[in-house]
Amino acid sequence: MKYWQKMKGGGQSPPGVSLVEVGWSWLGSFLGITAVALLHYNLVDQQGLTMLIGSFGASAMLLYGATRSPLAQPRNLLGGHVFSAIVGVAAAQWLGHYPWLAAALAVSIAIALMHLTKTLHPPGGATALIAVMGGESIHQLGYWYVLMPTALGAIVLLVIALLVNNVAPNRRYPEFWF
Amino acid sequence: MKQVNAVCCTTIELSEFDVIAAMKEIPGYIDITPGDFKEVFRVAYAHALQRLMESRTAKDIMTAPAHCLPVNTDLVLAAKFLADQHFSGGPVIDESGRVVGVVSEKDFLQKMGVGQHVSMMQVATHCLSNKGCMVMNLRNHVVGEIMSAPPITAGPDITVGAISTLFTEKKINRLPIVDAEGRPVGIVTRTNLVQLHCLSTGGRP
Repeated sequence: MKYWQKMKGGGQSPPGVSLVEVGWSWLGSFLGITAVALLHYNLVDQQGLTMLIGSFGASAMLLYGATRSPLAQPRNLLGGHVFSAIVGVAAAQWLGHYPWLAAALAVSIAIALMHLTKTLHPPGGATALIAVMGGESIHQLGYWYVLMPTALGAIVLLVIALLVNNVAPNRRYPEFWF
Repeated sequence: MKQVNAVCCTTIELSEFDVIAAMKEIPGYIDITPGDFKEVFRVAYAHALQRLMESRTAKDIMTAPAHCLPVNTDLVLAAKFLADQHFSGGPVIDESGRVVGVVSEKDFLQKMGVGQHVSMMQVATHCLSNKGCMVMNLRNHVVGEIMSAPPITAGPDITVGAISTLFTEKKINRLPIVDAEGRPVGIVTRTNLVQLHCLSTGGRP
């Protein structure tokens, strides 16, 4: 039974990283989320808008914790979030009456679109999903959701990644831009 | 050349432990499983070999200089020369030094036997069952009479891939490599190709 055999895995888990790496990952993500959160709470939130969405936590993991990953590069970060946000908003607006379908289609189409555009960025899936189930405040944004919080937040994370990762002697970011 | 081949024939087999060791030495989290890396390496290595095969030319793999037989060499002397050198054939050159043919065991056998597709075993059978041995047919003839002509030759820049195709299509075992004037600069035999081939299989047969 090949099908069941496949589930056995059998490969090796990659090795862990040094404490120094853990330190840089912590510092980068702390500063990245700090920047976005400060903007959110001190500036944007007061206007009744949002800058901070859950998918940025996942982006921070990639940008500061797996800097070398193809999934963490600027093309993927920006492309993945923007395309997914567009898909998510479209799904929420057209299929809002069937939230389960809107949610499923938002995520699945976002993943397909990221694949096709070579912008695969796992947090994009969350960005698409949040557009559907993020509540009334998100729905009210309409397609503005693509620009803010999504694109602007991603750009802030990107700037911090460029500034912090390149201070670390063993890190270089990005591997490629587009 | 021999040394190079000895190195080439060493199998490069990467284990996942090698990959893990490398990943540990490289700082930062590398977003790939050791198994996937191994697979990427294996396929990339095959591509590198392919590129090598296409970039290698006769110049790189030929035996040089080629040992040539003058066209008027007596067949008995020619046979002795080939036997002494452990060659199974060689290019034939005229007075001006140009390659005018190729002589091989096959040509000798054909002269000894009858018909086109004569084999060593046929000749042996014939010699054992008949009174006289056919090898006598070789006396008082010269290389020029039995050689395969016109010769199939190529310049030093022919690629290894093209040579392989020539060998298969023309059913030949050796290819004299000649300069612009048709003078021999070397020879590529099946042995040369096999030595290169062992590189492409990583030493496995």
